[in-house]
Amino acid sequence: MNVIETKGLTKYYRNDRGIIDLSLKIEAGEIFGFIGPNGAGKSTTIRTLLGLIFPTSGSGRIFGMDIVKQTKEIKKHVGYMPSEVNYYEKMDVCELLGYSANFYHTDCESRIKELAEVFALDLSRKIVDLSRGNRKKISILQSLIHQPRLLILDEPTSGLDPLMQAKFFDILKEENSRGTTIFLSSHTLSEVQKMCRRVGIIKEGKIIAVEDIESLRKKQLRKIQIEFAHPVESNEIKCIGATASQADRNILIFMFSGKMNDLLQALTGKDVKDLIIEEPSLEEIFMHYYSEEEHNEKA
Amino acid sequence: MKTTTNIYFKELKRYRNSFIAWSISISLLILMETAFYRFFMKGDILKLMKGFLENPIMKNMVRAFGTNVDMLTNVLGYYATRNAIYIILLGTFFSIMLAGKILALEEREKTAEFLLTKPVTRLEIVWSKLAAFLTYLLLLNVIILSIGFIGLEIFKGDSDYRPVAFLIYSFYSFLLMLTFGAIGLFLSLLIKRGRSITNMLIGVVFGGFFIDVLSKVTVSTDKFGYLSPFKFVDAGVLRPDYSLEWWRVLYFLGLSLVLITLTFVIYKKKDILI
Repeated sequence: MNVIETKGLTKYYRNDRGIIDLSLKIEAGEIFGFIGPNGAGKSTTIRTLLGLIFPTSGSGRIFGMDIVKQTKEIKKHVGYMPSEVNYYEKMDVCELLGYSANFYHTDCESRIKELAEVFALDLSRKIVDLSRGNRKKISILQSLIHQPRLLILDEPTSGLDPLMQAKFFDILKEENSRGTTIFLSSHTLSEVQKMCRRVGIIKEGKIIAVEDIESLRKKQLRKIQIEFAHPVESNEIKCIGATASQADRNILIFMFSGKMNDLLQALTGKDVKDLIIEEPSLEEIFMHYYSEEEHNEKA
Repeated sequence: MKTTTNIYFKELKRYRNSFIAWSISISLLILMETAFYRFFMKGDILKLMKGFLENPIMKNMVRAFGTNVDMLTNVLGYYATRNAIYIILLGTFFSIMLAGKILALEEREKTAEFLLTKPVTRLEIVWSKLAAFLTYLLLLNVIILSIGFIGLEIFKGDSDYRPVAFLIYSFYSFLLMLTFGAIGLFLSLLIKRGRSITNMLIGVVFGGFFIDVLSKVTVSTDKFGYLSPFKFVDAGVLRPDYSLEWWRVLYFLGLSLVLITLTFVIYKKKDILI
């Protein structure tokens, strides 16, 4: 079963682009990474899914229920962590979590205590006095206390120190092993690659790729660095489908997904001093997607 | 706990201190004003000023505030006159500010992202907040009614009044506050992000108040006054036929109902932008 499914989901803010024709399927029990730079439409997608804003066209379902008409029912089983945490400043932590827990008809008290201990969160402090990191911790707690079936996390680690990040990811893995589906939005791929099996890449409001992390790696995309004996131009061996090339005097660096034979043939007769072929990091693969997309648009 | 009661009690708590502060201020003002009446009457100050107040310029001035010398010398007349300026205006401010903030602040302070991602419908949010607002508005009016009555009884001296007239007048002021609350609730959804709600709402109350004041200056501007809800409060408490007029009640309740319904409709469809 798909936990999240959108069909042609589109949102315009008057004339400004939010997201365009977004179609996604996220299966039960998976950890899905949602990657894109700031302003690409990640938060718009999430806010549409959660009913804060309404789609201009298209539709979406969570647990098979309509995101516009059945939003209350959906939210009983969703935990959400926003990228920027804003709470009622005058409340103390305990009050806020109690307020939050009262919306769900389950007993959350023991879970609150347990999680507060894990994250070393003082429940008696006023929210106004808390640092960004501590507010983020509250946000983690309030997204988890009712044991949701789906977690939607919008840039969850910003503001958390590495130790807390590690604890947080441990908790997520634990939740996931209990069957919780996780939708993890981020602008850095390296953050989600440890957690996710699949990633969706969003750019300027459109999904440009949904890939398995593994198949991304297996795409035979190679990072190639060649040192010539003479200065080179960036289009020196463009003919064989090298992309994202950059030249620095004698050195040429590019991404290559074609046949190795073609590359070697293109190099025959050239004065090559050094050749390095390596597997790119996911970050580089991701950047490659972006530049390829740009390239296609220009063409 | 039910979703709606959860929000309701939280809202009551959130605005409790502000409510207490407003209640105390308004109560003290009522007692002070009624005590002043006693002071004026004892010294016959108003009677001495009668000649001065009856020259044409002063007469118009006094009339603009919906009163005349006879009104000012009677304890309830005096109460209704001074009340119009202090208590009604303050009560209206309290009402419009509370209603204008109770829903819109969630969006402005970005806490809507918390509230709207909980299992609660938009209509339930408006309901519970409206209920919290009405609770405080009713409480405030019960306080005004009690303190007003106490003030009148303590300081009336040998001036007499009809308690029914006092009740009717207090009911009108409650309806006026309710209507401004509905206006505040409705307008707060329309004000663009980054604009001040407070300034706008203060402007609306003062605007309404001065339209009413100006309309009373001459007979020709009288109709113009009906643009303002203030005009619909009948302050003629000394008239023997002073009674609850249904068209006034209908106006207040009707306008409030329309604005509150519109609030529900708009909020149900509104994009909450954080």
